[in-house]
Amino acid sequence: MTTLRTEVAEMGALVTERLSLALDALAGDEAAAHRVVEGDEAVNQTYVAIENRCLDLFALQQPVASDLRIVAASFKIITDLERIGDLASNLGTYALTEQRSSVPEIDVVALATDVQTMVDDAMTAYVERDVDACYALAERDDAVDANGLRASEQLVRALIEREDITDAWSVERVLDDVSRLLLTVRDLERIGDHAVNIAARTAYMVDSDRTLIY
Amino acid sequence: MSSNTVDTDQMDSQLTTSGETAEDIEDAWSDYQFQGEAKLSVEDLDVYYGDEQAIQSVSMNIPEESVTALIGPSGCGKSTFLRCLNRMNDRISSARVEGSVEFDGENIYGGRTNLVELRKRIGMVFQAPNPFPKSIKDNISYGPRKHGDLETGLLPSLLGRDDTAEEMDLVERCLKQAALWDEVNDRLDDNALGLSGGQQQRLCIARCLAVDPDVILMDEPASALDPIATAKIEDLIEQLAEEYTVVVVTHNMQQAARISDQTAVFLTGGELVEYDDTEKIFENPESQRVDDYITGKFG
Repeated sequence: MTTLRTEVAEMGALVTERLSLALDALAGDEAAAHRVVEGDEAVNQTYVAIENRCLDLFALQQPVASDLRIVAASFKIITDLERIGDLASNLGTYALTEQRSSVPEIDVVALATDVQTMVDDAMTAYVERDVDACYALAERDDAVDANGLRASEQLVRALIEREDITDAWSVERVLDDVSRLLLTVRDLERIGDHAVNIAARTAYMVDSDRTLIY
Repeated sequence: MSSNTVDTDQMDSQLTTSGETAEDIEDAWSDYQFQGEAKLSVEDLDVYYGDEQAIQSVSMNIPEESVTALIGPSGCGKSTFLRCLNRMNDRISSARVEGSVEFDGENIYGGRTNLVELRKRIGMVFQAPNPFPKSIKDNISYGPRKHGDLETGLLPSLLGRDDTAEEMDLVERCLKQAALWDEVNDRLDDNALGLSGGQQQRLCIARCLAVDPDVILMDEPASALDPIATAKIEDLIEQLAEEYTVVVVTHNMQQAARISDQTAVFLTGGELVEYDDTEKIFENPESQRVDDYITGKFG
């Protein structure tokens, strides 16, 4: 049981590191972008290994009570971590695509910093079994969602209001850039949601508290 | 994680070292309300063997038409408690029982209890299968025939009535209820001791059903059986609970989790530490001692 928790914490560290690379990529670091796009395999392998460990524990040890909640919560949390790893790869891919038009400046780095902190805090709450931290984290997600929505609206509004796009070539370039930025914002917002999922499963693991799951 | 090889004496001593008090925990689950009516209602039950107290002030209601599991380490008093429910402890001269056990609202420790009638209505199945050394058919009909049973139509043979048809109806009904009919219907006159262990145990359950009980007490009914026979007994217990009230003592916690609707956890010295819905006990018990016991940490 202790090994399982350590492995999940290690997977959390691996994913946080990839998120950190994604953040550097969004800030313009091309090398970081390449590393995050190419390095998802380690997360996937860890994910499968921990999933197998959980299945072994269910089958061979038939955990109950607090042990059951650790295995069940960890089994769910690694799925969220794996998805965060995938989304970090997406962010790297977006960062590598050259922007070819002038679109409004969206502070995706600030948004990325917020969600990276949330994932960090969610894993700290898991390791320290801190239910209060889980609740605090869930509340912060509202601000991330609001910032993401504001950024998306800003992009779309600017697109609607532009009058300088006349030829088909310009339209395509602007649509490419705006779509990519919208996807970036959406993926960051999804990472925040996964961090909340991790917090929700942690609260269940510690106190059998399902409030945040619903 | 749990281990089946733990020294239970050592475990018992460690279980008493927790800082939580019985009152703390009882506050958390004493308002436990199950669905349905209480078939058996136990109030402040104390049991002593000589000077030694085996059950300490246990109170619990056992709901009708459901499976109630009693779990706990060896020597915690769960079998003693089970035997109190149909006064089997009366047969142990040093045993002394205080408190009350109400069966359908009537205290079975009151002065007017007919013990034969009580044990007919609250039957018992033991750990080791113990069929009579008679034919399969006679194992079923022996009880009703011996005591005369108007409901089954089997009356003592001295009445000189031919009740073969009633007897066969009873044998078939009980063996079907015990999920044994298909395996033995072509050899009802064979000696019951020729059956396998699992079949013998189901025959004992069928024998218990023959006297038309309300409650069936089972003391480790599958512990001497292989996994296939155990699965059959477990399926049978779940089916029986649609019609009967079943109380089962088991050392196998996964079995309790699989088959019971509510679980009572007894720990050292005959103390009922927690009693709640089985899902609650195995997913989120109130008591740290119960959590430690069922996860095998004992600390």
